[in-house]
Amino acid sequence: MAAMVNAWRWWWGILLAFFLVGLSRLFLPLPFIIEVLIFSIYTMGCSFLLGRVGFISFGQPAYLAAGAYGTAFYLFYFGSNPYVGILIGILSGLAVSGIVGPLFVRLRSDYFALVNLALAVIIYYLMQKVLAGITKGDNGLWFLTNIASTPVLDLGKPDHFFIFSILVALAIWAFYKYLDDSVFGACCLATKINEDKLKFLGYSNYGVRLLAFVIANTTTALAGAMYAVYLGFVSPEITSPARAADPVVVTILGGTGTLFGPLVGAIAYTGMKDVISKLIGNWELFIGFLLVFIMLAGEKGIWGTLQPWLERLFSRKKASPAAGEGAGARQ
Amino acid sequence: MPPLDGMATGTGELLAVTGLNVSYGESKVLFDVNLHIGANEIVACVGRNGAGKSTLLKSIAGFLKLNSGTVTCNRVNLVGRMSYDIAKMGIKYVPQDKKVFSDLTVQENLELGSYATKDYNWDRVTDYFPKLKALMERKAGFLSGGERQMLMIARALLGHPKLLLIDEPTEGLAPSIVSHLREVFRELNKAAALVIVEQNLPLVCAIANRVYALKEGRIVAELADAASIRADVCEKYL
Amino acid sequence: MSAQLLTSGVIFGLSIGSIFFLMAIGLSLCFGLMRIISLDQLLYYSVGAYLTYSLTLVTGNVWLGVLGGVVVAGIVSFAVERLIFRRIYERELTFSMITSFGVLIGGIGVIKFFWGVVPRPVPVPLMAQIDIIGTEVPVYRLIVVAIAFLVYAGIWLFLNRTITGKAIRAGIENVEHVEGLGINVSRLFTITFIIAGALSGLAGGLHAPLIMVDPSMGLEVLAFVFMVVIIGGLGSIKGTLISAFIVGQVVSLGSLIYAPLAQMAPFAIMLLILLVKPTGLYGSPLLKR
Repeated sequence: MAAMVNAWRWWWGILLAFFLVGLSRLFLPLPFIIEVLIFSIYTMGCSFLLGRVGFISFGQPAYLAAGAYGTAFYLFYFGSNPYVGILIGILSGLAVSGIVGPLFVRLRSDYFALVNLALAVIIYYLMQKVLAGITKGDNGLWFLTNIASTPVLDLGKPDHFFIFSILVALAIWAFYKYLDDSVFGACCLATKINEDKLKFLGYSNYGVRLLAFVIANTTTALAGAMYAVYLGFVSPEITSPARAADPVVVTILGGTGTLFGPLVGAIAYTGMKDVISKLIGNWELFIGFLLVFIMLAGEKGIWGTLQPWLERLFSRKKASPAAGEGAGARQ
Repeated sequence: MPPLDGMATGTGELLAVTGLNVSYGESKVLFDVNLHIGANEIVACVGRNGAGKSTLLKSIAGFLKLNSGTVTCNRVNLVGRMSYDIAKMGIKYVPQDKKVFSDLTVQENLELGSYATKDYNWDRVTDYFPKLKALMERKAGFLSGGERQMLMIARALLGHPKLLLIDEPTEGLAPSIVSHLREVFRELNKAAALVIVEQNLPLVCAIANRVYALKEGRIVAELADAASIRADVCEKYL
Repeated sequence: MSAQLLTSGVIFGLSIGSIFFLMAIGLSLCFGLMRIISLDQLLYYSVGAYLTYSLTLVTGNVWLGVLGGVVVAGIVSFAVERLIFRRIYERELTFSMITSFGVLIGGIGVIKFFWGVVPRPVPVPLMAQIDIIGTEVPVYRLIVVAIAFLVYAGIWLFLNRTITGKAIRAGIENVEHVEGLGINVSRLFTITFIIAGALSGLAGGLHAPLIMVDPSMGLEVLAFVFMVVIIGGLGSIKGTLISAFIVGQVVSLGSLIYAPLAQMAPFAIMLLILLVKPTGLYGSPLLKR
């Protein structure tokens, strides 16, 4: 019984959040919600790296592309099962971050940021020009018709894909919440704050960072794979340097390192993008100044500002029946 | 024993600190510190590592943000001023780390001391440290620890400061250099007040007019008479 | 490969390396003194190029345009420093990186607002060719190289012969000690930032006749400038010069051998150098403040 209560307490925030997202299906267009869900998964890795490990990565599009192209190559050239495609996307993300990770995580945070962005640009050129023979260059790979329908959840159907993304997002969120609670999560935070002390405790900074790097970027690759299956199309645009800031912006917009920051940030970002690009058409102008404004205003982001407020709201609600007249008197 | 005759203390107040509270982020370092320094005094601050001595000097010099408290020099408020402004007013802080600008020559180091104060009389300050005169063209990174300390003090002397805040000047230096510094401090005291954070008790006893003892961020004792300083009473605070 | 192709390749590499150097020096100086990563330097590069384009249209003289680009880039960087960077010097490095990326993206939006998205051509001010060991080489590219070396000499003189420059060098080592000597450090920061911005503007203005001017031109050179800074080592002027010419040659000669090498080879070299020396050729280990 107590275990169930604990489990419920552990889960209820995540379940509530995605229940609300699911509910929004009733009054928001489907593409919008799916975009939000994939985007929030995309941002989760970046948020984890920045908030928990202290690595700022402007290179997330590189790993997004790794996942997307992994899936796309499979679905375009070899097979038709979207689940296998997504799995291959994840594996290729794992492979790319496993190859560059050991080199990158040795770097100082400033070099790390620069090198990552350089990697994103290089992958862009790689996909656009160098490998144009198999990636079809700027035209991109189109494979929507190749995707076979599958039993239970047919990813070719937007409705089914929506349910699939909610389930994936739930799993990702539970996974990251678990990470936050674990010793590994504490180690990550420790390597961000004081690497020497972590060393004294007998942990290897390098190992912690490498694992965090691989986990975060594999998550990003998963988002890339989902984009590929959802859109049925992948082009080098996915890793364009102009979009390198997107996950960082969403991370900060939502609230760095918070569990729900990526989700809130993705909702706000995608929403604003839809509205603003219709209204003024100059998206960069807006997002650039928004970013500067958030940073100068204290970088807490939307969720970071909301969280204490929500907690107070809920704790008051819980406290009020017990406090009885005390709470009544306060009102 | 010129410094201990009590004459110097009577010449009026130069610096006054009241109710000083300072913290680094969450951890509080200084609690309600009050002190004053007369115009021709040598005041020593003693205390264990982490007692807040360096923090006290840095707060006076304007490098740290105060939680509360006042710092005045000749009744002019110093709180909220930028540290370069305070330095320009003649309150010079000589840090503990003995880090000179190692990529610059000794002369260039002195030039920077002259930059703000427009006092280009390097001969006057190197008169205290004749050794430096021969090293003017050498990169400061190649100086010994003692020479670096000399250069840092010489650099701070440009512009005739009225108050020198010197943080652990003798730490790690050879005895002969320490005794040289002791003579220099006495000489400097003719024109300026000195606050010296020091662990070297013989030096403190030899030159200080007064001693403040700090413990865990509070001033726990003020030793004003020569006898008790000399009797190594302050030893119990170290 | 013929000798003629090689000569023109080397000259091309030198000129492109010069552009990289002019841009990277700003990033490097800002990092050295203020401990910020100023991605908005790429914006001043675009500003310099666009001003060159517009002033050339109006006055008919490209050099006047470049001059205007330098001045306006300096003014814009001054405004950005005063309004934004002033508030974030104390913060972590990542903070300046994100904020400056915001400035860069926002600035690209402003450029789109004023000039639109259509790429603009800028005429080459000197069409003359000169004969170097049997190869016709455009004089303009040589002038770009000469300007880069002049700037290097100027920066060197400024840092080593003027008191402000010495204060900047001292500040690169220890900003607090400089402040303790009564020197107004925030003024040094402003001066450095304006120099950096103006040099980026110069890079944009000089590059404009060689490429098409378009709003995202800053993002296109971004990877190369990063590689230059990383290979040379953040904060080192000499390292920046050397690595700018390395990257320039690799880009130019690499593309002679096999076109895609132009983009990939510098990256491979960067990874190699980082493998051996994680702080770049001349970079110092991180000085914690």
